[in-house]
Amino acid sequence: MATGRMKKILQSYGKLLALAAVIVVFGLLRPKAFLSLKNMINISRQMAPLVIISIGATMVMAVNEFDLSVGSMASLGGVCAALLAVAGMPTLLCFLLAAAFCMLLGIVNGLIVARFRVLSFITTLGMSTVVDGLIYRLTGGATVFQGIPKSFSWFGTTRIAGIPLLTVAMILFVAAYWFFMRHTVAGRRMYAVGGNEEAARIAGLAVGRYKVLAFALCGLMAGLTGVAVASRVGSANTTAGAGYFLQAYAAVYIGCTVSRQGVPNVIGTLVGAAILSILANGLTILQTPTYLQSIITGGIIILAVIAQRLGKESV
Amino acid sequence: MLLQTRNICKQFNGVYALRDINFSLEAGEIHGLVGENGAGKSTLIKILTGVYSLDEGEILWEGSPLVIHSPAESQSAGICVIHQDSVLVPTMSGLENIFLGLEYPVRRGRVDWGKMREAAQQKMRELGLAIDLEQFVADMTPPQKTCLEIIRAMMQECRLLILDEPTASLTDHEAEILFGMIGRLKERGTSVLYISHRMEEIFRLTDRITVMKNGRITGVVRTSETDRESLIAMMTDEWKSEASEMSRAPGDEILAVRGLASADGRVRHADLSVRRGEILGIFGLGGSGRTELLESIYGYRRLARGEILFDGQPYRRPTPQASLRAGITLICEDRRGKGMIAELAVRENVLLSVLDTFARRGILDETRQKACVQEQVQALDIRLASAEQPIRELSGGNQQKVIFARAMTTEPKVWLCDEPTQAVDIRTRSEIHRLLRERAAAGDAVVLVTSDLKEMLEIADRIQILVAGRTGPVLENQELTSVEVLKLCYGEM
Repeated sequence: MATGRMKKILQSYGKLLALAAVIVVFGLLRPKAFLSLKNMINISRQMAPLVIISIGATMVMAVNEFDLSVGSMASLGGVCAALLAVAGMPTLLCFLLAAAFCMLLGIVNGLIVARFRVLSFITTLGMSTVVDGLIYRLTGGATVFQGIPKSFSWFGTTRIAGIPLLTVAMILFVAAYWFFMRHTVAGRRMYAVGGNEEAARIAGLAVGRYKVLAFALCGLMAGLTGVAVASRVGSANTTAGAGYFLQAYAAVYIGCTVSRQGVPNVIGTLVGAAILSILANGLTILQTPTYLQSIITGGIIILAVIAQRLGKESV
Repeated sequence: MLLQTRNICKQFNGVYALRDINFSLEAGEIHGLVGENGAGKSTLIKILTGVYSLDEGEILWEGSPLVIHSPAESQSAGICVIHQDSVLVPTMSGLENIFLGLEYPVRRGRVDWGKMREAAQQKMRELGLAIDLEQFVADMTPPQKTCLEIIRAMMQECRLLILDEPTASLTDHEAEILFGMIGRLKERGTSVLYISHRMEEIFRLTDRITVMKNGRITGVVRTSETDRESLIAMMTDEWKSEASEMSRAPGDEILAVRGLASADGRVRHADLSVRRGEILGIFGLGGSGRTELLESIYGYRRLARGEILFDGQPYRRPTPQASLRAGITLICEDRRGKGMIAELAVRENVLLSVLDTFARRGILDETRQKACVQEQVQALDIRLASAEQPIRELSGGNQQKVIFARAMTTEPKVWLCDEPTQAVDIRTRSEIHRLLRERAAAGDAVVLVTSDLKEMLEIADRIQILVAGRTGPVLENQELTSVEVLKLCYGEM
């Protein structure tokens, strides 16, 4: 009985406990550097791009598909925005056009997957290569930084009452997508499609439409992530998004275990991204060598996936 | 005597699937096994091939007891089975498929292809079978695949070959080729256990026939000393149709199907007419295309040709969405695979088809949803802790009621029900029967598929016979007996 209840608590709140444990450990080891308000705000800004891209990955995984092109799409978003800014376009318009272009590519992904019922894994692998080619054509492989106006950094560096705009944007996105998945027809139907595609089809749902929607949102969020990163550093690296790909899915997987049904969900994804970001921040403060940081982070991702599997089997 | 079983019993969840089976098979004979859907043929074969273990009784192989725990043990004793659906690797050549479960001959660390080819060719000469070993299975015709499976089975010492509905997917000409192969196996002294719904084949091929019914053996006869009529009499009880307690007067035609064929060829030519206020049963043997017919009408399966008339209007290009909008609903046979979404709450499963009506500008109103679900839960007496619990936590019967509740929310006029009482408890079964009668009394049309003939005779008003993808005669369910129905199903083949 007692162990059963313990197991339940671990299943429901395990990830939050892990998050708390990570904070406590670093807090004890480096109270001044780690626990300061400044560092907390810093972490929230650092994790914002990861959270934004992970929300998109959450959508695709909610319909039981996979998008391998998110990393390349993020790079493309940054490059497009930077190039448009260099061409003299107003900053906000640059951001929106770049994100919209990535959304369009996401729609293409979705249409291919839905129309031909092919594996999204391979489709988006192809798309990611196409996008890499596009980036090379646009930039010649070099980072875009010359001629970018000052205003371009507005999104990534502005603070409102000491809180970075990126942090605010992250919170708004989490709230909006949480509401979307929890309280709208489209969100619930995406879960139905992901839960049992054939049952959803027979119940009269336009399965393809919800898949396209998921891929579109994923493309949009990847594009916005690229924009955010480019705006923060004031330049667009052609592979800026590459590092986010694995981290995003790691965050979603860790997040799955937060929900009772073990499905991808926005709040869980936020927790997952927070764990990964705080870990990175704390390990850096502890001056852990890079190789060890990689090993620890990778190990935690693998453990999270195993934990999710075990959680599902026990019910 | 090659194989004998003594008082074999097998239970599933406290229900006997097999009871006191005393089966015997002589060396070198072709033995037919016949029986209705669910008579226990498959269970018996699965015990002989080590898929299931037996609860009581014993198996004698050449007179001495044989214990079979796994398919591998059954094979090494010399029992091989060829299933209805072939289990070959399509992307590999015939030769490699033959050696799939065997040791590959190896010389100096590499596979000895020459030796493999030689061994396979020698076996083919022995069996008098010929097949291109280099051809990929994907490019083979159905009888070539069956031939390949026979060769594979014979590579090991195979004394008893079990063929389970081997002609189900073959054309007449292809079946002839198979019969030739079976004849050659018999000449070599291999015993064959031949399971088929097709009486013609049974009478043509076999030496003796065992008949099963409700998990028991009801007769063993010499093929030369019996005929179709007496076999069918042994396969079924004399169930009479029961006059339904509600007297209904059927109205005008609401759904008509003419010359329908599905793109995958499972439904070849179907004509149907369903009237308001009636329960039309569709009865056919396993593999006759019952499920496929319902799914084709509903728009889940692609049509090759044919016409559907709904309420007198042509209904072209059916899709599940359009069907639901028009008022046609489908209760699937495969509840887990195509009916419910296991991880979602009962509430969400009930409202899956009509969720958009509970939203304003896309945002859901949870209070109204709960009220609607509550109403359905009470109406159908669904037993649950909370409408928010995942549907997988419910019992099979209650899960099926949730599926019915979902259908109710779309307010259908035509109910296509595929095995609606499969794997539900007795109480739920009679509740579902009552519901279907009520719907018919309220003027809806119910199209019911069930492989349980007794159930069919209990609740259908008329019975449409379906044989090998083609619709046959329609019988008024009055004074009808199960023998009459089965005769038609086993008829012109």
